[in-house]
Amino acid sequence: MKCKRLKWMMVLLLAVLVLGAISGCSGQSKNQTGNGGQDGSVQDSGEQAKGRFLEDEVDTGVAFDNILDIKKLEDGTIRIVGHAGNFGVWDSKDQGGTWEKAYDLPAEVQDQGNTYLAQAAISGEGQTVCVVKEITDDSPDSALYLVNKDGRADRIPFELPNDSDVQSEDGSLYGMSNGISDVQFPNKDQIVLQDDAGLVYQVGVADGDVKHTYDFTAITNDCRVFAVGNTLVVQNFSNVLLYDMETGEQKSSEEALDKSGAENRFFSAVDTLDAGESIYCLSSGGLYHYKFGGSVMEQLIDGNMNSLGMPSCYPLALVMIDEQNLLVVSNDPESKSIAATEVWKYTYSADASARPDKELKVYSLYENQEIRQFIGHFQKEHADVYVNYQMALSDDNAITVSDALKTLTTEIMAGNGPDVLLLDYMPVETYIEKGVLKDLSPLLKESGGTYFEHIINAYQDDQGQICAAPARFLIPLIYADSSDYTPGDDFNAFTERKSTMVHMLPWNVVEKFWYTCGAAWQKEDGTLDEAKITEFLSRLNSAYGEYDKSLGDKNNEYYMERTTHLLDQSSMDAREYDFAYGRVNTNFGLCRRMDYDMQQVLEQKFEDGKRGLMPGQADHVFVPAMVLGISSKSSQAEAAEEFVKSLFSQGAQEVSNAGGLPVDGFPVEKNAFHSFIDGHEYNEIAGSTTTVGDFVVMLGPTPKEAIAEMTELAESLTTPALTDGVIMDVVVEQGEKVLKGELSPEEGTAAIMQKVNIYLAE
Amino acid sequence: MRSIGKTHKSIRGFLWILPSFLGVVVFYLLPYADVVRRSFLGAVDNRFVGLENYKTVIGNTAFLLAVKNTLLFTLICIPVLILLALLCAVVLYKSKYGGIIKSAFLMPMALPAVSVALVWRVLFHSQGLLNHWLLGIGIAGSDWMNTKNAFWILLVSYIWKNLGYDIVLWMAGLAGISTNIYEAARVDGAGERQCFFYITLPNLKSSFFTITVLSFLNSFKVFREAYLVAGDYPHESIYMMQHLFNNWFRAFSFDKMAAAAVMESGVLLVLILLLQKAWDSKEE
Repeated sequence: MKCKRLKWMMVLLLAVLVLGAISGCSGQSKNQTGNGGQDGSVQDSGEQAKGRFLEDEVDTGVAFDNILDIKKLEDGTIRIVGHAGNFGVWDSKDQGGTWEKAYDLPAEVQDQGNTYLAQAAISGEGQTVCVVKEITDDSPDSALYLVNKDGRADRIPFELPNDSDVQSEDGSLYGMSNGISDVQFPNKDQIVLQDDAGLVYQVGVADGDVKHTYDFTAITNDCRVFAVGNTLVVQNFSNVLLYDMETGEQKSSEEALDKSGAENRFFSAVDTLDAGESIYCLSSGGLYHYKFGGSVMEQLIDGNMNSLGMPSCYPLALVMIDEQNLLVVSNDPESKSIAATEVWKYTYSADASARPDKELKVYSLYENQEIRQFIGHFQKEHADVYVNYQMALSDDNAITVSDALKTLTTEIMAGNGPDVLLLDYMPVETYIEKGVLKDLSPLLKESGGTYFEHIINAYQDDQGQICAAPARFLIPLIYADSSDYTPGDDFNAFTERKSTMVHMLPWNVVEKFWYTCGAAWQKEDGTLDEAKITEFLSRLNSAYGEYDKSLGDKNNEYYMERTTHLLDQSSMDAREYDFAYGRVNTNFGLCRRMDYDMQQVLEQKFEDGKRGLMPGQADHVFVPAMVLGISSKSSQAEAAEEFVKSLFSQGAQEVSNAGGLPVDGFPVEKNAFHSFIDGHEYNEIAGSTTTVGDFVVMLGPTPKEAIAEMTELAESLTTPALTDGVIMDVVVEQGEKVLKGELSPEEGTAAIMQKVNIYLAE
Repeated sequence: MRSIGKTHKSIRGFLWILPSFLGVVVFYLLPYADVVRRSFLGAVDNRFVGLENYKTVIGNTAFLLAVKNTLLFTLICIPVLILLALLCAVVLYKSKYGGIIKSAFLMPMALPAVSVALVWRVLFHSQGLLNHWLLGIGIAGSDWMNTKNAFWILLVSYIWKNLGYDIVLWMAGLAGISTNIYEAARVDGAGERQCFFYITLPNLKSSFFTITVLSFLNSFKVFREAYLVAGDYPHESIYMMQHLFNNWFRAFSFDKMAAAAVMESGVLLVLILLLQKAWDSKEE
């Protein structure tokens, strides 16, 4: 009887274990939702988490073209030291609502002759320290001035030591020049200076005496220094160092601060509300708060939901008005003016949901700065949608493209996949064929743009559906002397010439010509034309000539490792300076922006320089980039459609990242294309010059003839390049072997066909 | 009364196997049923397409290549592996150092597939060690993994890695044969050869079935090494079924994948049942 009871107990125990395991699995998925709720999505209880900082642009009423510092004074006034016509100080008594000029900075610190005001910092008491640099024959000299509350300037008797002593060829020692790269004013008695060498000085404002010196010369290029209360916070790539400014001693490190610093990249600005007991840090991830001695860095503002996460936005200064209000001064290169400065106010709203109900997932294989920039704009106009930008591959992980695509497949089929797909480097045609993507043609009609027809229709199917559309495109171009290239040259004529590919790496040559030739290889049945591939390899091999083995040496100036960011390496930009300096005879590749500088170089370099479409086996080829699609299994179809529609609108297409951030190519919308190439951002500096190699080029708006020529080229493009990553990798791999002489063109073709045939047969 | 007791006993027996059976149902049978269902549906839109997917798969040249390579690999590899393992097991069983040497044979199994793949790359790359050594003795090298040699490299590597496991299985079978039989045979004048053919082999029949089935199923794991060395698209001689499934999955070809999986599992089931029947009839 006892034995029987024991058996039943065992059976029950097993049943409980099985049920427990099953419920444990389902519990896990609930927990995952719960975690999301902490970031602002729907909580387990079904209630929406509330409370979020809302962003507003501050209209200062002052045309600032530079703001050097912003600070909250002890009496609650917010003070700005900046430049609007001349350098001055402006105050706001109503938390940034209205601004009035307090006084102009004295003449000693204004730009005049060969002196200019480089940096300034405000103390809590309202004094301003200014770093004035004088341009001498050798290098700039820095002088420090203290501007009192009444606007009077006194020189601080501080001499910056020379950078280092370097032994000259005759054995004597001479000092390298040094300069002040940053200044901070943490309290009324002391300022903190950082020099070019990486030394940080704690200097008394009254006597200019150095109280403490901190040596960061070993990490000078990789560290940021902030003086907060009595603590010096030094952030580098891997950790955050803390120093007691009273004693000059290093404090013990704080794990949470180290971890957060490493995860959120560099802080761009730091402030405190409690004399340095805790700090508020600003980075591209948003605003974070950390109490010294604590165990967690709290995220107060998610940068993805406002301007802070936009690549073009670089915060210069942060002022915490109180726990629920703050001001951020940032540079906005996207502005129509070259040196525009914006002031943003963030106010906590207890009623706003912590994170909007709707989450729109945008996916790309690689980081895309332009889409991130656009997301910032979209978030501002759609406060009810949270755009979650996911990129599969980064420098931090070792995932392959194939693994990433398999994970994407799993997520889409499980219903957890992204809503909007940035399809660059993905098998676009396969996705269209399988019905993974929705038809975009109605959206493109609604967006109201005027597009380059052949380019927007690059992925149009037989039924007229456009399931994927490029928002940008690249043009394969060539710059060369007329002896090396004549506009209208076909592939045969160009490859007859022998000196066109000097100093170029075999893989790079094959990759560039793949774009202009690959499009001609595909037969109607979807297979590749073997004869054309053989011709491609034979002609390239003949034109390339004998392979110079020293090019494969990593120390060779022309050496370049092939990476997966294919469009970057095929870009004309990669060889721009080699061309200007005459190290290569021609410059060909993918053109992604209006490069009027290079056109001027071409005109000066050769008597009869030519520019035109890069020859290839296919004619009038363009490379689709930033290809967008909406998942047919999207759970936020409406928001996804709105997102894509907005992205193809003229306004969004004009987002050109004029601040020097990488662009994916020319906009597909015609008006935006014109705005993109007209060089309007140079209006203010028209007539000035710069040098490219030995050539002096004029800066300014693009001449009308050049605009017309480029527009005509874009209008003539009809053939989308083959962008299938699998075929391209095989062609480049085998093509490189052919150009290096390891395989004959026929052997190379056989190897390509063998692998590609399997891929195409699948 | 006796029949009630029997019923209770069988219910108890069923309850004991219930947890395990539930696991099989939830994690194998139900997913398999879903695969069968999907083999008649479209890839993403789930519309009914009848036998279209089966027709597509049968006419797919990549599928036919993968089937051919997988069969060829199995047909060459399994007999060689089983016979070689048997030979080693018999020799080791008689050797006084058999235990130590057996452990040495098991070492490759303990090596992670990634490490093995890395060694392959270093050895067989066109700029690899093997070509370097060959060049040293005046022989021109080759891009081994991009020629038909890749198949034989894969085969030898598979045998090297799995030989130890089969040796252990054979040695377990050998240990089950009573020494009395050998002693009686020797008293009757039987030599080593006669003992092997008339005592050892007949007594290893039951082990043979297990080892064959296990080796057959294990042979599918060779994909790991092939994939790690040559990626999604290796030389056509080592393009296996798993490469195809892997690539189909990435390309959302769930329709083709499901149909091919159903066909493959059917063939495997039939093969195993035939093998079992053949063995059962021999034992009778």
